[in-house]
Amino acid sequence: MILARVNGNVVTSMGHNSLIGRTIVLCTPIDETGADAGAPFAAVDPLGAGMHARVFITTDGSWTQDTFHDDHSPIRNQVMGFVD
Amino acid sequence: MKPGKVIGTVTLGHRDPAFRGGRWVMISPMGSDELTGKNTSGVSPQFSLVAYDDLGAGVGDEVLYVEGAEAMQPFDRPIPLDAITVALIDTYKYEPLSQ
Repeated sequence: MILARVNGNVVTSMGHNSLIGRTIVLCTPIDETGADAGAPFAAVDPLGAGMHARVFITTDGSWTQDTFHDDHSPIRNQVMGFVD
Repeated sequence: MKPGKVIGTVTLGHRDPAFRGGRWVMISPMGSDELTGKNTSGVSPQFSLVAYDDLGAGVGDEVLYVEGAEAMQPFDRPIPLDAITVALIDTYKYEPLSQ
């Protein structure tokens, strides 16, 4: 699980079927002070995180397969919550 | 998922039968400098990697790729694969907070 900040988003029209209709955000991991710390990565965002929101991200692929109802989805990262 | 830029393709001669028909691309991971346009060389200082591609990504395309055991999930049976492209990027926005 990763604490991260939403720094952007991705628009894609060609991808794995399990991504159809899903929002993808670009995030950067943050450290304990809230500063960016690490390489950016992408995550599916079912919650609708705003720009620069601090979010909690799961990297559990099997959980994502469950919530997508797609055993063949290769996606791992999903926004799970917002940090107050 | 991580963003990366396709910088080449890989063609295998002899290969594991599981990979028959597969197409391979070489990807340079995109870090903050590449996403914000600070580094315009097209190649990042991070290690490049080879990924399976069934989307038809071409050299110069920006893609999202997945590394790890989930990479083989789209296949009907387990194959020795740990990187796969999952989306072609049309556009993206990346604006980190200035610190």
